[in-house]
Amino acid sequence: MTTSLKVMIAEPSVIIRSGLETLLKRLSDYRLQFVEIPTHESLLEALRIHKPDILFINPSWPGYFHLQEWKEEVGCPHMKCIALVYTVMDNQQLRVYDEQIHIFDSLEEIKQKLERLLAQELPTASEEGDSQILSIREKEIVVCVVKGMTNREIADALYLSTHTVITHRRNIARKLQIHSASGLTIYAIVNKLVELSDIQQ
Amino acid sequence: MYKKGKYQETDRMSDLICENYPMVLVMSRFGIALGFGEKNIGEVCRQNGVHTRTFLTLVNFLTDKIETSVLPIENITSSISLDALMSYLHRAHDYFLNFRLPHLRRKLMNAISDCPEEVVFVIRKFFDEYAAEVNKHMSYEEKTVFPYVRSLLAGKKDGKYNISIFSKRHDQIEMKIVELKNILLMYYPGEGTYILNSVLFDIFATEEDLASHNRVEDYLFVPAILALEKQLH
Repeated sequence: MTTSLKVMIAEPSVIIRSGLETLLKRLSDYRLQFVEIPTHESLLEALRIHKPDILFINPSWPGYFHLQEWKEEVGCPHMKCIALVYTVMDNQQLRVYDEQIHIFDSLEEIKQKLERLLAQELPTASEEGDSQILSIREKEIVVCVVKGMTNREIADALYLSTHTVITHRRNIARKLQIHSASGLTIYAIVNKLVELSDIQQ
Repeated sequence: MYKKGKYQETDRMSDLICENYPMVLVMSRFGIALGFGEKNIGEVCRQNGVHTRTFLTLVNFLTDKIETSVLPIENITSSISLDALMSYLHRAHDYFLNFRLPHLRRKLMNAISDCPEEVVFVIRKFFDEYAAEVNKHMSYEEKTVFPYVRSLLAGKKDGKYNISIFSKRHDQIEMKIVELKNILLMYYPGEGTYILNSVLFDIFATEEDLASHNRVEDYLFVPAILALEKQLH
């Protein structure tokens, strides 16, 4: 499954910026949108406008120790900050970052670090493998969604908690790559889970 | 695939289009017709009353796949005419709503006409809901954002509205058409046909076109307005 991510690279060297961008584009599991920031003066404003999911940042830029406060201030508390290290740095100084990549890291190492970081965000993402086949329970939930029921109504009808319904829906969206109710309707009709009369109230 | 590097006034318009064929859409959204002969970009723009530097900024922004860095704000404000950019965006909206989407709908309906009635029904419903969403998204810009920018240009600062309200709610409208593509690719029940392939190609192109339209709004239009707001403070 491909995840959409907005990535900001805050780094003065165009060679390093472009190099990192080229490398990251080879990670086929992600659909990445890039923003490059060449000077630290424009960083805060750019964060406010673009709200990236991941920020790669040169740790020698001033103001690094405010990083965690910035997340709140610019309205992206979940943003992951990754230090882009290419000199010997004091570990103390790197502690404010969520992760660090070194300029000599291989693509595989970078990939693993990203996966680890993002896994904290999406705990259910890889639990059940990538099977596209829906379980019986999931099919029941698709039918309910297609009929226009709310999560609460689905929970009551199937004797589940709404939390469980939401988890199921997230898994369904991941397995099918379909996120909207009208998209699920097409899936349900094509796979004969429902009749047209069920959805035409 | 495409030429990298910046285009200038003195480059020939036909070279630009041949090297980056999606730019034909940009050109027509500036109101420039085909048949420009050997003329260079500057000449064609002047002849058609198009603000040349806005045209070039946009073209260079869209063709530049490598350097996606945020343009320094001074560069944006000094090279973009907000009037010209708004008329470009307006024409692009018109193109999507009154040509691209209706055209795609006709073709899609034609391509799936052999499917069972209920499949046609749900695919049509999906498409119509999507088109309505795009319509809502673009009408908001036409009815709220553009008038706001015009009043800013006239030197009036509206106390209540500001452009960050817009950037907050500005979503990626190409995401749902990606879903239609996925559904057709993975779950389409009928036989593949030439026309269905052609519909898929249209969807790919529309997806890309909508995404780059959004990029222009997020990276050129909004920053230019932010700068103007600051100036009026």
